[in-house]
Amino acid sequence: MFVRLLNICVIVALVIAAAYVYDIKYQSTLRAERVAKLRHDLRRERDAIASLRAEWARLGNPRRIQTLAQRHLQLKPFQTNQIDSLDNLPMRPPQIVPPGTGDPIAAMLEAIDEDLTASTGSIESLLGTATGKGDRQR
Amino acid sequence: MSAAEGTSATLNWRRRLVQRLLYGQKVDRSAKSRARVGLAILVFSLGYAVIAGRLVQLAAAPDNHTVRRAADAVSTSRPDILDRNGEILATDIKAASLFGEPRKIIDVDEAVELLTAVLPDLDASELRERLSSRKGFVWLKREITKKQQQEIHGLGIPGIGFLTENRRVYPNGAEVSHLIGHVNIDNQGIAGIEKWLDGRGLADLHMAGLAVDRMDKPVELAVDLRVQHALRDELIAARDKFKAVAAAGLITDVRTGEIISMVSVPDYDPNKPKEANDPTRINRLTTGVYEMGSTFKALTLAMTLDSGKATLSSSFDARMPLRYGKFSIGDYHGQNRTLTVPEIFTYSSNIGTARMALAVGVEHHKWFLKKMGQLERLRTELPESAEPLVPKRWGELNTVTIAFGHGLSVAPLQAVMGINALMNGGLLIPPTFLKRSPEEAVKLATRVIKPETSDKMRYLMRLNAEKGTATKANVPGYYVGGKTGTSEKVIGGRYSKNKLLNSFTAVLPADNPRYLLLIMLDEPKATSETHGYATSGWNAAPVTGAVVARIAPLLGVEPRFDLPPSQQLILAKGR
Repeated sequence: MFVRLLNICVIVALVIAAAYVYDIKYQSTLRAERVAKLRHDLRRERDAIASLRAEWARLGNPRRIQTLAQRHLQLKPFQTNQIDSLDNLPMRPPQIVPPGTGDPIAAMLEAIDEDLTASTGSIESLLGTATGKGDRQR
Repeated sequence: MSAAEGTSATLNWRRRLVQRLLYGQKVDRSAKSRARVGLAILVFSLGYAVIAGRLVQLAAAPDNHTVRRAADAVSTSRPDILDRNGEILATDIKAASLFGEPRKIIDVDEAVELLTAVLPDLDASELRERLSSRKGFVWLKREITKKQQQEIHGLGIPGIGFLTENRRVYPNGAEVSHLIGHVNIDNQGIAGIEKWLDGRGLADLHMAGLAVDRMDKPVELAVDLRVQHALRDELIAARDKFKAVAAAGLITDVRTGEIISMVSVPDYDPNKPKEANDPTRINRLTTGVYEMGSTFKALTLAMTLDSGKATLSSSFDARMPLRYGKFSIGDYHGQNRTLTVPEIFTYSSNIGTARMALAVGVEHHKWFLKKMGQLERLRTELPESAEPLVPKRWGELNTVTIAFGHGLSVAPLQAVMGINALMNGGLLIPPTFLKRSPEEAVKLATRVIKPETSDKMRYLMRLNAEKGTATKANVPGYYVGGKTGTSEKVIGGRYSKNKLLNSFTAVLPADNPRYLLLIMLDEPKATSETHGYATSGWNAAPVTGAVVARIAPLLGVEPRFDLPPSQQLILAKGR
């Protein structure tokens, strides 16, 4: 009796194991196929990239660019005197108008007026118009 | 009944007889059979163990699906070749090739008709001949386009198929031809850097069938494509302008020996390797040897200054032509007076240079040139190289002529290596086409002259551009120094007066050298612009100036103005 029960158990276990193994085998085949497909795609992509890069290099060839530039552009090779170092660049002039002001000219006038009232009091009106004009012309 | 007993008795008797014959008389058969069963168990369990082991092995080992079919790899895959900034000089793309299996073809005529309709450049009679052969496999056309492939596929001819092959393409065409060389139809390098790549084991990989898939690691060269183009453009213009047979140019990094650019026109398109067989298209810088003319005077002066036999203030008698038996050596820019060393250089005096060489003697001269690598074949990565033509017997007359660059023929690349050493502080660095850092270069270098001598040589080069024969190569802002070289070509055993080989060597900038240029013009003709002159100062020098003006910004050489003359800037610093 006990032996028969054991046998049945073993047979059931066997069937389950077989089904499980089959499932794994099936899954692994599927995955292997997927890997092969991906690898193939990868290689194809890489080949496509290589041919695109070759095409890009052909298009960017200096001789071709030069011919195109000579035909379509007014540019000329630059001369050495067109190069200068950063040290020779003058300092940025002090900013009279704070950045982001809506009406720069009005702000400038205001700043001058303030300046003048601060420094002198006597010939205010005369100087104010003179410097104001000068600034605007600049 | 008795008959049955009789038969069983005879049966028993027979069995006993067989058993006796087989096992002998006194054998315990039960023990024997147990042993036999044991053996069977052992054999079977071994068998199962092997199967189990193999199963485990199969499960554990990675799935070897990537065993590639030979069909996909007829041509070797090669690594990409990049320039120093990563621009592609050579790369592989996949292309389909058309093949036929004659034994499987049913109707040859039909196949020929259909194929020639799609591929008009196929020769019909040759195609028919190939398809009628008894071979198992014939190539019909290598490297066809995607569209052609689709059309042929659509025709559905039996016995015709495609293989995917690697095809080498050179997107920059002729720009870098001599430098990288080219490959044959099987993608094997047959010239230039391509051949060098094969020599480094790529050919073996190919033999073993491993070099199939794309190579990951590209090869980076020292060449700069932009500089290469600028140089080539200027050389083509110069060749047209002076109606020269050929023009060549070389730019090296003084500190590392890297070859930044090498052009020899006429050149060829590596995509059409047949052009390379034309002998006029050889690479004149490595495969040709030339008498370098006055360029060699730099070596002579450096030798004499370095030996201590002369200083910059020494003077040599150049009043009379130097007579040697029936030979008489005169000066082109004859001054007919005693010349100081800087004057010898700036007037490019043959007499003065010869006397300087004689001052150190024949043996020292020979030893010095050997040390400078001028007497032996120079080997670089390029497989093409030429042996210098050294006189077999080297007497005083040889020293006299070699002093000003006649009687010894070297490859121009070799001369550049020597002059490089004079400029960079006295280190002879073997030139290379691959990227190299200054540290690596110092390890490979050998000291050939003293640093002070190098300073003096740079002073002389710069002086020459300030007031000598090289003034036309001076580009304001770059402090160029240079030396002209004009040599008469030997035609039919004697020097020809109007067939010249002109060269110009320039160093940039002369006070702190970074690049060395060599420009060569083969048989330039005089033009109205050069006032009838065809010497180097009138053609090679201005070409060099034009090249410098174009390449210096590309190479990041900063222009500087208002620099003091060479006497103060180079000599004073050197002292």
